[in-house]
Amino acid sequence: MMKNPYIPYRVNIIDTWFETPGDRCIKTFKVTFADEKVWETWSHRPGQCAMVGMPGVGESMFCISSSPTEKEYLRFSIMRVGKVTQAMHTLEQGESFYIRGPYGNAFPVDDWKGKDIVTVGGGIGQAPLRPVIQYIRDNRGDFGDLKLIYGARTSADHCFKDEFAEINQKGDCACHLSVDVEEEDWPHYVGFVPALLMDVAPSPDNTIAVTCGPPVMIGFVLKNLMELGFAPTQIYTTLENRMKCAIGKCGRCNVGNLYVCKDGPVFRYDQIKDVAESTA
Amino acid sequence: MVEQLIDTDKLKKIAEEVISREDVRLLIGYRKGTFGFRMRPAFVEEVSEVGELEFTPACVNNLATYLTNYERPPLPRGTTNDTRKVAVMVKGCDSRALLQQMVELAYKRDDVIILGIPCNGVIDPAKVDKRFPEAKGPGDVKREGDNFTFSADGKTETVPAAEVIADKCTRCRYPTPLVYDELLAPEVERFADDTYEDIAGLEKRGSDEKWAYWEEKFSRCVRCYGCRNVCPMCYCDECVLDRLSPQWMRRSVDISENTAYHISRAYHLAGRCIQCGECQRVCPMDIPIMEMNRKFYKDVAEFYEYEPGTDAEEKPLLSIFSVDDKEDFIL
Amino acid sequence: MAEKILIKERLGDALGELSKFRLLAPTKSDEVVLFKQIDDPAEAYLDYLNSTVPPKRVVFPQTETLFKFRAGEPDLEEKDPSEGETVIWGLRPCDARAMAIVEKLFNWDYEDPYYLKRREETTLVGLACSSIPSVNCFCTSVGGHPFGTEGLDVLLTDLGDKYLVEVVSDKGAKVAEALSGLLADAAGADKEAAAKLSTEAEKGISRTIGTEGLQEKLLNLWENPLWKKVSAACLGCGVCTYLCPTCHCFDIQDEVEEDEGRRARMWDSCMFCEYTLHGSGHNPRPTRRERTRNRINHKYSYFPSKFGDIACVGCARCINLCPVNIDILDILQQVVEA
Repeated sequence: MMKNPYIPYRVNIIDTWFETPGDRCIKTFKVTFADEKVWETWSHRPGQCAMVGMPGVGESMFCISSSPTEKEYLRFSIMRVGKVTQAMHTLEQGESFYIRGPYGNAFPVDDWKGKDIVTVGGGIGQAPLRPVIQYIRDNRGDFGDLKLIYGARTSADHCFKDEFAEINQKGDCACHLSVDVEEEDWPHYVGFVPALLMDVAPSPDNTIAVTCGPPVMIGFVLKNLMELGFAPTQIYTTLENRMKCAIGKCGRCNVGNLYVCKDGPVFRYDQIKDVAESTA
Repeated sequence: MVEQLIDTDKLKKIAEEVISREDVRLLIGYRKGTFGFRMRPAFVEEVSEVGELEFTPACVNNLATYLTNYERPPLPRGTTNDTRKVAVMVKGCDSRALLQQMVELAYKRDDVIILGIPCNGVIDPAKVDKRFPEAKGPGDVKREGDNFTFSADGKTETVPAAEVIADKCTRCRYPTPLVYDELLAPEVERFADDTYEDIAGLEKRGSDEKWAYWEEKFSRCVRCYGCRNVCPMCYCDECVLDRLSPQWMRRSVDISENTAYHISRAYHLAGRCIQCGECQRVCPMDIPIMEMNRKFYKDVAEFYEYEPGTDAEEKPLLSIFSVDDKEDFIL
Repeated sequence: MAEKILIKERLGDALGELSKFRLLAPTKSDEVVLFKQIDDPAEAYLDYLNSTVPPKRVVFPQTETLFKFRAGEPDLEEKDPSEGETVIWGLRPCDARAMAIVEKLFNWDYEDPYYLKRREETTLVGLACSSIPSVNCFCTSVGGHPFGTEGLDVLLTDLGDKYLVEVVSDKGAKVAEALSGLLADAAGADKEAAAKLSTEAEKGISRTIGTEGLQEKLLNLWENPLWKKVSAACLGCGVCTYLCPTCHCFDIQDEVEEDEGRRARMWDSCMFCEYTLHGSGHNPRPTRRERTRNRINHKYSYFPSKFGDIACVGCARCINLCPVNIDILDILQQVVEA
């Protein structure tokens, strides 16, 4: 029998910082396995998730926000919303928590080689897109043009600000950023992400679009991508639902006959377009 | 001679008038069930659906629960709740739930249209299922004198009422609804009294004996929450049981959590339970839930001369105080 | 292995022989029949219709520990799910079949060590439904049979003063071996009698539903008004799901007592509001309409699309015990007619 899938691995926090302030602040954790041997069997792909938690508090599903090309550590960026995430936010460097995974499917990045890529993210929705971007940047020669479209309510609410600056400096990816409402000294676009997408207007030719964010935003982004001429088979997104087991047993995360935990979280738009229960 | 009380044609005529009104959105009544002698709740929104309405002694459900046990999901943008009136059919016992709900300000008297059903007793479905395990139905039940007649699958059988009547009806003191807009039949005079004989045994037991008794019953509970969900008085916005953070009660099913559940629920119903007995009726595990509720009910009646769900002008028991209140049980 | 005969007078001895296993049998308390571990053969109540709670609880307990932990100790203590060699005596064929169906899910890709361990160490001795337990039974509509052996290791048929004992698996042979001193060879007449009972039992099932095409049809009825109608009376309790032999959904919760605790899983119900509630407050199934639709779709569309079987064995518990007479066959009939 294989390893008990309900028993998590302990990870140690090697670095942690806040991405955004406020009630629903986002904190990033850079972790490594307490038992180094786990690295020998661990392998994840961009877009995959892990159950993250603390014994005595519980677990929640989060995407792994680092790319497999980033060795020796995993990253999680976690917004403070519920019981588990509140407890997670109290943790500091040197402390530990527990993870099990990797779970779910992944963005088929290797199938996208030779194509142009555009990512469209909103708020914490950038977390599953980050490993895609990082993976492409680490294999830059394999891919065509890379565009990053991202927005949040205010500039302070932007995740991964420092990385965007670094990307801009290096110039291996075009960053298009926005804020929902006007603010002083903001040099970039003002408006919602779907509008920014229309402003950037990426060509659908030989291009893959990947979008993650709040359900309302995803809805409009999908609509706008179609308007730009993208076919549903060129568009990828992720779904989320309440989960407990993450391995297709506990029943609750289904969207129609698809279990988000196992059949997802990554879906090509044509797979879910007609599944009534999906938000996309 | 006690006869079938409700004239179905009259019921349908009144229902048609009510549901045709502009200011009424829904009428909750009864219709034939799907097997045996079951009757089930009917939700009538159109005149065309009135034809299925019926009242027989198999109409056990307390429909008052639907006035409080409904869901309030966020509305789609630009829409508002339909606040038109709801009409509901209630027996004497059920009408007390409406009164108690209104005493607790769950809704206003004007929000509901009450179709009162004077009642001389309903059957106990468990007893009937046992008696007619092979009845495919859906069959008919009628009251004829001291008997019920059961007709299904082309056969008719008469059974003495005492053998299949619901226990609560044998001690019913309010056969005619205490609140109504329209009475669907002439008033039924009180035909029984409540002497609490059924809980005399419970009261006599010592603590150890009580514990052993309840431990056996509670250990069976699967926490399906049927008792809570069917209860017309269990309508908190967020039940203490469901709250995950902070979590007051574990979701684990064991004797400790089960006991905490049942005792909490009994306490939350003290001075509020109107004795419809629905909790015990629906319990798949045959837990005598009403024994607890009845003991509380009796104590409240004796200590405070208070009977929930009998007076629209009354205030909830726990919100009134008198210096004469009994307090010798307070340590 | 050839069919055997167990004389009813020796039933007590047979159950005694099996006490070397963890032996469960139907027992009665008040009006409730439950599978419980029995110490005395007299506790077994075999003259029963069906148990109130299905014996799924033996392999899938309502609450179980996954692992334990202690404050300040980084290592987690994995719980050994083994309960020892177990025999369930006298369960109904539908409930055994349910275990065979649910096992497919617990085996799907990730093996669930807790469920599978207990399933592996449990031997199912079925008792054929010579008379149909309920007017609402409909096993034959969903691929089962009152004398079906799917999931079973041994099938017993009540022949009045004796049981016909039919071994249907290697595990069953082990139980028969333990009872070998009490079993005699069955005569041709015994087998004929059982075959006749089986044919008659099948005729005794009065309710049916045509399931052909339901898997696809359900998906096309997403916004059909029938869902509002059939769920209007639903109270949102867990009777239909908790007492269902194929319902297998669970919650996972951490419980702490002073400086130690456990991660446990416990049955959950898709009919509960909290089941799908997101941390953000959003609920993808906001009312009982969506939840009822999901329950039916899961059983008759989603599960069969993944695992081939309808996740319903027709035991009729949900019909018999629903507080408001919501009837799955009534719903399915409306689906068929829609």
